[in-house]
Amino acid sequence: MSILNINNLSVEYIGDKSSTQALKNISIDVDENQIVGIVGESGSGKSTLIKSVMRILSAPGLITSGEVIFDNKDILKMSDEEIFDIRWKGISLVKQKALNSLNPVTKIGYQMSLPFRYHMGLSKVDAEQKARDLLDLVNIDLIHFDSYPHELSGGMRQRVIIAMAMALQPKLIIMDEPTTALDVITEHEIIDSIRSLQNKLNFSIIFITHDLNLLLQFADKVCVLYDGELVDYGSVDEIKLGGKHNYTKKLLDSMPKINLLNEKINEKNNNETKILSLENINVKYQLGSWLSPEILHAVNDVSLDLYKGKITSIIGESGSGKSTIAKVITGLEDLESGNILHFDGKKFSDMEHNLAFRKKVQMIFQDPFSALNPIHSVLHHFERPLLRFGMCSKNEIKSKTLELLEMVELTPAEEFLYKFPHEMSGGECQRVCIARALCSNPDLIIADEPTSMLDVSIRSDILNLFIKLKEEFNLSILLITHDIASASICSQDIIVLKKGKIVESGLSENIIKSPKHDYTKNLISASMDDWFKNNCKEK
Amino acid sequence: MNNIIKFFISLTNNFKAKVGLYILFIFIITSIFAPLIIGSPSDYVGVPLQAPSTEFWFGTNGQGQDVFAQTLHGAQKTLFIAFLSGFLVVLVGAFLGGVAGYFGSRLDDMISLLINVFLLLPGLPLMVILAAWLPPGPLTIIVVLVFTGWAWHARVLRSQVMVFSNQDFVLASKVCGESSFRIIMVEILPRMLPLIASSFIGATIYGIGAQVGLEFLGLGDISQVTWGTNLYWATNDLALLTGSWWTYVPTGISIALVSLSLTLINFGIDELANPRLISERHLSNKLKGDFDRNSVTPVRVEK
Repeated sequence: MSILNINNLSVEYIGDKSSTQALKNISIDVDENQIVGIVGESGSGKSTLIKSVMRILSAPGLITSGEVIFDNKDILKMSDEEIFDIRWKGISLVKQKALNSLNPVTKIGYQMSLPFRYHMGLSKVDAEQKARDLLDLVNIDLIHFDSYPHELSGGMRQRVIIAMAMALQPKLIIMDEPTTALDVITEHEIIDSIRSLQNKLNFSIIFITHDLNLLLQFADKVCVLYDGELVDYGSVDEIKLGGKHNYTKKLLDSMPKINLLNEKINEKNNNETKILSLENINVKYQLGSWLSPEILHAVNDVSLDLYKGKITSIIGESGSGKSTIAKVITGLEDLESGNILHFDGKKFSDMEHNLAFRKKVQMIFQDPFSALNPIHSVLHHFERPLLRFGMCSKNEIKSKTLELLEMVELTPAEEFLYKFPHEMSGGECQRVCIARALCSNPDLIIADEPTSMLDVSIRSDILNLFIKLKEEFNLSILLITHDIASASICSQDIIVLKKGKIVESGLSENIIKSPKHDYTKNLISASMDDWFKNNCKEK
Repeated sequence: MNNIIKFFISLTNNFKAKVGLYILFIFIITSIFAPLIIGSPSDYVGVPLQAPSTEFWFGTNGQGQDVFAQTLHGAQKTLFIAFLSGFLVVLVGAFLGGVAGYFGSRLDDMISLLINVFLLLPGLPLMVILAAWLPPGPLTIIVVLVFTGWAWHARVLRSQVMVFSNQDFVLASKVCGESSFRIIMVEILPRMLPLIASSFIGATIYGIGAQVGLEFLGLGDISQVTWGTNLYWATNDLALLTGSWWTYVPTGISIALVSLSLTLINFGIDELANPRLISERHLSNKLKGDFDRNSVTPVRVEK
């Protein structure tokens, strides 16, 4: 029996003169006790869809047609009060960035008891008892009832949020990218616990994500959204075979998968000149106030070597200190102790972080939109470093910029010269950032999660660009990523980092084929397609 | 520079800002060309305390001077002092706030301490004491306004610079070897243009009010013709007792109109800087006003 019935739903964003159609005639059925996955890239309308179903879409969103039948009633015809009754009791929502949706200043138990008090009118004592039961249900130790959100790990916070969504036993839970901010291992644990809860309590799930491969492992039905249209809709098996639409095929192909035999990469590189090496690096952050300082040991005794013409990957979950290492090398962060030794001609101590060093070492940032200043055109972003590093005279800036843009496959390059960051897509912005890093003809490029903010369909293009650049210019690249699959595609050396310490390092081939540390083993098995088959209890 | 022009053009597309800009423009033009339009405001032109007539549009004051001429000429100095003090307040605030927010640590601690001290000083009494102590004149007023007004803007701009200075585009500029000064001036401050513009307007409105207040108390140079001294002379001539309302009402309305125009421009800036307000307006237009931001997403099925 179907629980939620979306028929011909259309949503428009109203502009001054024209409006944009965000959703075009979407029809989706959700049956009882079913997991329906919605997949699409950013801007495809996934979030708009679920916000319209809950009717929490804010201005300038306007629902222009369709019906959303829940429990034989049309949500689109309800008044404010009727909808208030349905929210949380009938349909609950786990929002995007759920890690930030807990209030940092109140305790977990108090927050979990709120829905019982407001929606069911229970007394404080009863509500808290119910909240304890919930915590127990999601396998979180009851000592955390009196903890504050920051005392819990990301995965635990996510479980608390999911528990809260289940508090009033809704028939349907909508999850909007619930695991995006988590590392692969935690992601799988969360999905595992969602599934076992679903078995116990019988509810339906709409699961929104940009990761099609993840969805194919546990969903019943999959909807593929592209540019506000439902381009593909069918059972998991149908989609696995390629679906009906080209876009589905493209999505299926574009997911980086662990690459065991990459001949291109594994070519023996005999010329092993060290370009940069770190020796016993320590970085500590002081948290808390100056009265009660807490020391966070972000990077703990890390030593590593980078070689000329090689791509080296650092893999680790968020908070493992991988970005800090990048900032240490580029001089954006101060060292507590340790040495950076520069072997490329000069001793590092002679160079410090002056212009000569900057010229040799460039950096690419995670979020291409925030790494470009929105008030400046593309040309400005090249003009400054080109002049600053003395790469060319004022008259040559334009031609040099065009050359660089073509190098990163932004063609026709003339069109991009005067564009502003908001006029380009994420992938184009990231290419501009890469081209900017190439301005000074560097020996080493440090790329801090260069693909994690990009849509899956363009990630492998960017990785291939790195490989191409490496080969053309004999560049060394330090790739920082949380995704072992992308690392295996393009790097020769892999370094696995956990809590600021190197747990394993070596040739990527060796690490992927025969990992030694448990953490690496977990990471690799979590990235394999058949993870759920091997690790989950049958549904 | 390009950004400022672009910002100004988009401001003129906003209805509220446009009305505000028109009013302000009229005041600025008439005050600049006042000497050409009308004679000297300090000449004795007729019998004192005449009610408005076709000869003297706003009547005459207790000294037999033309109130219309005084209002127009007064605008010149009042607006000049207000804009200049607004500019200087924001300049000092942006410099100290920018430096504190960008460099952080020790330097930030020191500047923040200074900001906090100035925020804690009671502004109005300090202003009165300073104005009474320094020799009277426009320069004194400007010095007093900047001295008592910069701290608030420094605090606001500092927090915004702090947000930006940790973002990737600033780090990227550092990696490109840019100097700190250039990063603050070219990369960070232009991004805060709406905030700086509205700080400037706030400081200017405050500048008008404080300046007129000081002069009304007799702490300005009473030989000059400004809106503040106009009011000072009006009370001195017992305008309220004699019922000669025309000696203070035109100046009062002018002050109110200029403040209104600046406030309207500020609303315009607010809408530019906050896209949510624009989108709410668009949706409200489409639904012909039938829109409540606290309610559920509206449904409008077109047949």
